[in-house]
Amino acid sequence: MENQPKPVKELTYNQAIGELDSILRTMQSDSCDIDKLTAYTRRATELLRECRSRLTATDEELRSILEGLENN
Amino acid sequence: MILDAAVPVSEDRAISLGALTARIAGRLATPELRDVWTVAEASDMRTSGGHCYLELIEKNEATGAVTARIRAIIWASQFNGLQMKFAAVTGQRMSTGMKLLVRGTVNFHSAYGMSLVITDVDPSFTVGDVERRRREILQRLTREGIAEMNKRLPWPVPALRIAVISAPGAAGYGDFMHQLYANPQRLRFRVRLFEAVMQGEHTTASVINALERIASDDDEWDCVVIIRGGGATSDLISFDSYELASNVAQFPLPVIVGIGHERDVTVLDYVAAMRVKTPTAAAEWLVGQAQTLLDGLRRTAADILQTVTDRIGGCRTQLAYIEGQLPHAPKAAIERANAMIGARAMQLSGAATARTAPERARLTAKGENIATAACAAMERSRQRLDSTGALLDALSPMATLRRGYSITRIDGHAVKSVGQMPDGTVIETIVADGRVVSTVGADNNHNQ
Repeated sequence: MENQPKPVKELTYNQAIGELDSILRTMQSDSCDIDKLTAYTRRATELLRECRSRLTATDEELRSILEGLENN
Repeated sequence: MILDAAVPVSEDRAISLGALTARIAGRLATPELRDVWTVAEASDMRTSGGHCYLELIEKNEATGAVTARIRAIIWASQFNGLQMKFAAVTGQRMSTGMKLLVRGTVNFHSAYGMSLVITDVDPSFTVGDVERRRREILQRLTREGIAEMNKRLPWPVPALRIAVISAPGAAGYGDFMHQLYANPQRLRFRVRLFEAVMQGEHTTASVINALERIASDDDEWDCVVIIRGGGATSDLISFDSYELASNVAQFPLPVIVGIGHERDVTVLDYVAAMRVKTPTAAAEWLVGQAQTLLDGLRRTAADILQTVTDRIGGCRTQLAYIEGQLPHAPKAAIERANAMIGARAMQLSGAATARTAPERARLTAKGENIATAACAAMERSRQRLDSTGALLDALSPMATLRRGYSITRIDGHAVKSVGQMPDGTVIETIVADGRVVSTVGADNNHNQ
């Protein structure tokens, strides 16, 4: 893992996915010790949340998007 | 013949215009002008009252100048039938811009002038022609190296911001939007309609214009969707345009094209990044892409959860084992330690014994010596004491007294001189076996 991970908002979607894959592989290897597990899990959760928010919108946001379309 | 304006022409030499046009009509009504097949490009095609009015033209290919022209008519009674026949083969209706092989009869109408009345069409010519033109355009694009460009563009991940080129209010656009937002995942699509004319002769320019508008903001969008649809097949000929195809091929964003139906494949279909049959299909594809990403995220999340659970589970198992062992451990350890100490102790004592035995022996010997020496010393002391005692004894006053000497005392003090004893003095005389008290008498001789 990098020493200073970039803020998730600055990553491209593909970069975020790449980091998630790498975290998963590290966790699955024997060399991951229990202390690091917490840090990895936290970072992974951040990344997952960011990716999901880019793909899906809350009901609020969806409503305003659709409204914008009608006015377009 | 030289015209002389001054000489009037008599009216009876002239014929009426009607007679003139009748004469023309008569002349034109020859077999060789009847049911003639001719190849021409349709132009200015319009319908009115069910009849189709158009112009047939021939152009110089190099210059584009019109070299031959005739007005044409397809009467209502023929028109629909011919269109259906045409569409059955080409998949399209006859329209402006198409090269047609038609059969017609030249007609001269007194009032309306000359026209070709079209009574039949051979669609296979047009198919061949359209296809030939398509092939030529594609070959040209390939030669220029741009035919594959749009297809090779990497798709943005995720592709959620969509620029749509379509006619406003078109059914196709409505279908697309409905499908896009009907997804239950609440995918975050953002769509803007870039209006364009999607049929008729202004189509090509209009669509190109819409593309240019999108390109000026191309970082706002992930892809372009060109759709029309719903209703009868209209002319697709506008989409078989080199200029339009060139634009799409080189467009900086991937283009999805959904303008034809099953069979229609225009040049645009060949150069676009993706081709779909209907606007709904375009929306479905886009939703599918985003859905796949979402599924991927879910899988990764599940994998991470599983991995963490396994690792922690493994640690818990290990911890439980250790906890189970823990109560026994100290006792066991102590026992082990004890055993070890015992063994060591035995070793030690053995060793110690071995080491000290000679010393002990020496000590014992020394002790014996000391005892002997002590006894001897004590014996010597006793002997000395005895001899001293004997001497003491010999020198003691008692021994003297026993020899017959006596001690005379006055008031407890020993008398050493006669002078101490005037007459009448009470004296005490101590002999070996007792004492006597007496008084000094008158017959005492003080000299001896």
